[in-house]
Amino acid sequence: MSHDLNAYLILSGLLFAVGTFGFLARRNAIAMLMSIELMLNAVNLAIVAFGAFVPELAANGAVIALFVMAVAAGEATVGLAIVIAIYRNRRTPLVDEYSSMRE
Amino acid sequence: MPLATHLLAAAATAVQPTLDPGTQQDQLMVLLLMAVPLAGAALSAVIGRRLGRNAWVFSVTAIVITWAVAMWLVYQTLFAHTIPDAGIHFTLYQWIPAGNFVVDVNFAVDSLTAVMLIVVTTIGMLVHVYSIGYMAHDPGRWRFFTYLNFFMFSMLLLVLADNFLVLFVAWELVGLSSYLLIGFWYRRRSAALAAKKAFLVNRVGDMGFSLGIFAVWTVVGTLNFPAVFATLPELYANGSIATWQMTGIALLLFCGAVGKSAQFPLHVWLPDAMEGPTPVSALIHAATMVNAGVYFVARASGIFALVPGAMVVVAAIGIFTAILAASIAFTQTDIKRVLAYSTLSQLGYMFAALGVGAYIAAIFHLVAHGFFKGLLFLDSGSVIHAVHEEQDMNRMGALRRKIPITHWTMLIGSLAIAGIPPLAGFFSKDEILAESFKSGFYVVWAIGIVVALMTAFYMFRLMGKTFYGPSHVDPEVEPKIHESPPTMTVPLILLAIPSIFIGLALGLPYGDSRITQWLTPVFEPAMEELGRTEQPFTLFGIDGALILIGTAVAILGMLGAWYLFGFFNLKPREALVRTWTERAKPLYTASFHKWYFDDLNDLLFVRIGGLVAASLWWFDRAVIDGAVNGVAHVVQSAGSEVRHIQTGRVQNYALGIAAGLIVMAVGFLLVVSR
Repeated sequence: MSHDLNAYLILSGLLFAVGTFGFLARRNAIAMLMSIELMLNAVNLAIVAFGAFVPELAANGAVIALFVMAVAAGEATVGLAIVIAIYRNRRTPLVDEYSSMRE
Repeated sequence: MPLATHLLAAAATAVQPTLDPGTQQDQLMVLLLMAVPLAGAALSAVIGRRLGRNAWVFSVTAIVITWAVAMWLVYQTLFAHTIPDAGIHFTLYQWIPAGNFVVDVNFAVDSLTAVMLIVVTTIGMLVHVYSIGYMAHDPGRWRFFTYLNFFMFSMLLLVLADNFLVLFVAWELVGLSSYLLIGFWYRRRSAALAAKKAFLVNRVGDMGFSLGIFAVWTVVGTLNFPAVFATLPELYANGSIATWQMTGIALLLFCGAVGKSAQFPLHVWLPDAMEGPTPVSALIHAATMVNAGVYFVARASGIFALVPGAMVVVAAIGIFTAILAASIAFTQTDIKRVLAYSTLSQLGYMFAALGVGAYIAAIFHLVAHGFFKGLLFLDSGSVIHAVHEEQDMNRMGALRRKIPITHWTMLIGSLAIAGIPPLAGFFSKDEILAESFKSGFYVVWAIGIVVALMTAFYMFRLMGKTFYGPSHVDPEVEPKIHESPPTMTVPLILLAIPSIFIGLALGLPYGDSRITQWLTPVFEPAMEELGRTEQPFTLFGIDGALILIGTAVAILGMLGAWYLFGFFNLKPREALVRTWTERAKPLYTASFHKWYFDDLNDLLFVRIGGLVAASLWWFDRAVIDGAVNGVAHVVQSAGSEVRHIQTGRVQNYALGIAAGLIVMAVGFLLVVSR
């Protein structure tokens, strides 16, 4: 375990970049949701790291992280429910097929 | 029925227990005066239509009751004097409470109102009775009686109103009734057009009238007659209102009177209004509604008296209309149109009288004219009935023996309007002419004398062409001519009586006549404003001479008409008439075409006005609509371009969000690092 805050932040930034890329590049709705989870976790990692290294934040970092996890869980639930609902209608998980709301 | 309960509650509050019982009774009578004809109209409309030939029952009953109530009020005001000189004024309920703009529905009865009530209800009642016979064969009679009762309600509201707005409402309601009744036979195109014309021409006058009312409210802050007539002279005296403003108010108010009383240049609607049934012509377009303008100017005499300029305009328009209409009446061949132009001419007399400050003479002539012109119109209706709906006098003649009652009553009416002593018209017309001469309006007097000559002439031209000389009636109709039924002849006789005696009753003794006694309290402020002092009457001086001249020209005109158009056994000289007509062909044609006023209006307002309207319409469509539509078009086309960025792909949107976030983050860092 490194004792350098920057290392955690770099890892967090990398994870966030991977998540962003996944969200932008993947066409599968499930994969996009997974990417979002990845981004959220990247952010969580950064928060926990700040909590550990900045004395004034102390326990607050952990609380915020727990909060983010709860929101992420809720988001994942709703997101998956929507994806399943669309999938039942459209028989496809690919988002570029969902075109009925364009123009 | 919330409205009914509201009205009842209002009536209950109006008749407050604090007032003395006599006043309470008077107030109830005033309300009854309006409620009864309104109820008559409602009943005629709802039940009357199922009664067939008896559709008149409610209507005529209502008017007889109204007449009785009115006579009671007249008695209280003019004879018993239980109603004070200032009249009774009371508020029924508050109509418009809007901040400092407060209008009550209030009514007043004073001697001027009482005199109007005599004319309106008496002639109204007789016309209603006459209509029973006249409209007996018309399938729409229930409609006729409904309208007629509604008119009576409106007219009574008009004379009883005690503020400008209530008067204006009544003013419009009589206009509406007039419209409905002119267009009564609406299937006839000419009737429908005449109704529309009357309505539109009246709107022109009412436009000015309403502006005048706005001005009065702006200046005084109230619309109640007593308050306005008391405050305006004060404001004018202490200089709060400039002369031009005061003149403007007076002239704007006069506009309404010009429209309603069909004075030049808004006189064109009245002759066309003869398309309505004859009882309507008698009641509305001769005896009552057209007098509303005269009544109003007399009522507002306190305003007009302040500004001599406005008075001169009133007098000028009046006397000009008098001679203009008389000159047209010379050549018309439609019996009702002659009478219509004669009405215009006599109304012109009344306005001339108002303009020279002879208010009492004007109202006197209004009363007298109401009776004899109502009589003449009803007579013409009886004639038209007798010759089977023929109105052209060239197709009448020699009717004297066939319809004797009509003939004798119409002869009385003609003598009365011609101003032959001692009939009604002699006294009233003489008073107008004498007053204008004595007040120094010599031009008005001179034209008035000429008009008196012309009046006598064209009335006896009408008599000659209709009743004397050889018959020009359609040979098929000739044997079927018969006198009208008693429901028609009795009102004729009843109207002939006042036509003979009302002048004697009201106009004597000279100098302190009954009508002067009645009306002096009402017109005292205006007379004082004008600086008129009571002059002693001199029978063997100026007054006697004026009477002599007036009578002489009337007799001259009458004799001239007898000579040319026949009288009893005197043969008409048709050849002579023809040669003289031929000799003055352009004048004759111009008079026959009513001095081309209809054509002028057609050119000015229908053609040129139409062009202006069309160009304005073009401007509206091309420029204003174009601008609005252009803006919409620009937005629409911009939208149709911009909407391409809405691809419907989540990734595109997410990329946008990501790019935006990056821009924001970079910007933030740049700002922070500064």
